[in-house]
Amino acid sequence: MGAVGTAILSVLVGLAILAPVIAPYNPWKIVAEPFSPPSPEHPLGTNDMGQDLLSELLYGARISLSVGFVAAAVATLIGTFIGVTAGYFGGVVDKVVTGIMDTFLLMPALPLMLVMAVFLGPGYFSIILVIVITSWPPIARLVRSQTMSIKKRPYIEAALAIGSSSLRIMFKHVIPNVAPLVMALTILRVGDAMIAEAALSFLGLGDPTAKSWGAMLHWAFRTGAFSYGAWWWIVPPGVMIGLAVFGFATLGYALEEYVNPRLRSV
Amino acid sequence: MIGSFLLKKFVQKLAVLFIVMTLVFLIPRLAPGSPIDYLVEDPRIPGEVKEELLRKFGLDRPIFPDQYLDFLRNVMLRGDFGYSFMYQRPVFDVIMERLPWTILLLGTALAISATLGTFAGIFAAWFRGGKKDYVVTLTALFLRSLPVFWTGMILLLAFSYYLNIFPMGGATTAGTEYSGFLDYVADVLWHLTLPLLAIIPIFTARYLLVMRNTMVDIIREDFVITAVAKGLEDRQVMLGHVARNALLPLTTMLAIDVGVMMGGAVITETVFSYPGVGSLIYDAVMNHDYPLILGAFFIVSVVTLVATTVAELLYAFLDPRVRMGEA
Repeated sequence: MGAVGTAILSVLVGLAILAPVIAPYNPWKIVAEPFSPPSPEHPLGTNDMGQDLLSELLYGARISLSVGFVAAAVATLIGTFIGVTAGYFGGVVDKVVTGIMDTFLLMPALPLMLVMAVFLGPGYFSIILVIVITSWPPIARLVRSQTMSIKKRPYIEAALAIGSSSLRIMFKHVIPNVAPLVMALTILRVGDAMIAEAALSFLGLGDPTAKSWGAMLHWAFRTGAFSYGAWWWIVPPGVMIGLAVFGFATLGYALEEYVNPRLRSV
Repeated sequence: MIGSFLLKKFVQKLAVLFIVMTLVFLIPRLAPGSPIDYLVEDPRIPGEVKEELLRKFGLDRPIFPDQYLDFLRNVMLRGDFGYSFMYQRPVFDVIMERLPWTILLLGTALAISATLGTFAGIFAAWFRGGKKDYVVTLTALFLRSLPVFWTGMILLLAFSYYLNIFPMGGATTAGTEYSGFLDYVADVLWHLTLPLLAIIPIFTARYLLVMRNTMVDIIREDFVITAVAKGLEDRQVMLGHVARNALLPLTTMLAIDVGVMMGGAVITETVFSYPGVGSLIYDAVMNHDYPLILGAFFIVSVVTLVATTVAELLYAFLDPRVRMGEA
């Protein structure tokens, strides 16, 4: 399963990196009649302004993948830090952090994202910020329970006995041991973050001039791609989002199974 | 024991409600350019009306402590949400008109997805490790990867634009005279079909995966080995022992998903122009309709928190370990 994910993601990342080289047109340039159906010159047709959709799709890979990846990475970093701190120190610190985590987990995430994104001003910085704010708690929760079980191991006791500081133990012994799990989590999170980015961009909260898959669907929806039956505009971005999220999910699960052998199928 | 468990959960919910509402109160007010500026800059509103509006809604006074105290007193204590800027009607009335549609859509979607997901999950777990399991699980993973607004757009394109057998949006056909109740129900169901078809695959996939994975986990437990050892048939072991215990986490997830779906409704309802609370939140936020945002969030949060509480109670009832504070 991991191989499928890796293959899909390698292709998508390759397309994203090579976009300026392989894209047939500049996606911001008007190059044909609006709403042209697919043709040899424009394999995926054009949008309402006459921009080439294949080029948009290729450039879109860059923003969609990087926003998803950055948001997931930052959320995982914060979640790991908070989870390790709570799990390692326990007591009052843990109580407070768990309280905050439970509160965040109960919040209506998407509507809150919407409010934050609208009032922070549209753009990818806002989108990343709101994804991070709403997605660190489940990561922190998992890392916390993992840390608690690592803490009970003899080598931590040994480290304490020779007088290592808490900070040293956390960085030298706890974090390296939760790192594999954290890796798998980050990969799994990228998919969720990409869906969130697509949803927010679809609602019109992304940078209005930027090209992302969510933004393409936003403009398709807003400018009446339906009344033209412009399937060539609506189908490809969703397929790309689906493939990318699927790729991250399968790779993430494969990694998780590798890291945690208990999960391997019987 | 149960009393303090309930009290703790209840206090936690109140705290969440308080925090969410305070955030939703503060974010727009602290952000640059809104909501006062938005109201004042709107060229369609004449000057004197703007000033009157500002006074009427109390937006001319300082945020702390005046507006915040008003908000606490009116919204949080008395449940008085005030008047909507957009609709010029009481926020409560606007929301109550919309809420039944959301409940109809999400309730139906949740019931169908949960049923389908449970059975498909049992099916996959039954054939665990085999080809059938692989195909089902992989399909579920793929379905779960699709953005709901995109499946919605594809359905609209296929069934409304090309085949023209389902409506482009709305909950009923505007301006229809219904010949009877059944006629009305048929029209409602006709409008409900595409939104349901957009939501159901994604959530069915979710429940399928949870059900399957929980069952595969449980199969390794001692009581299952005992059940097999004492000579029960496969069917009895899988349904009576394994699936039955796997329903526990699924139950909690279902109730939590009431909140997830409520959030998702913002998008689903926008795509299908479905007149529920989700599209109302979107319109309210986009139009900086301040009292309406607060009111809608209040209702959505309360519904979500009640559902979560129900989940916790159910779980505590089904699994006594939770009550005793073990799990």
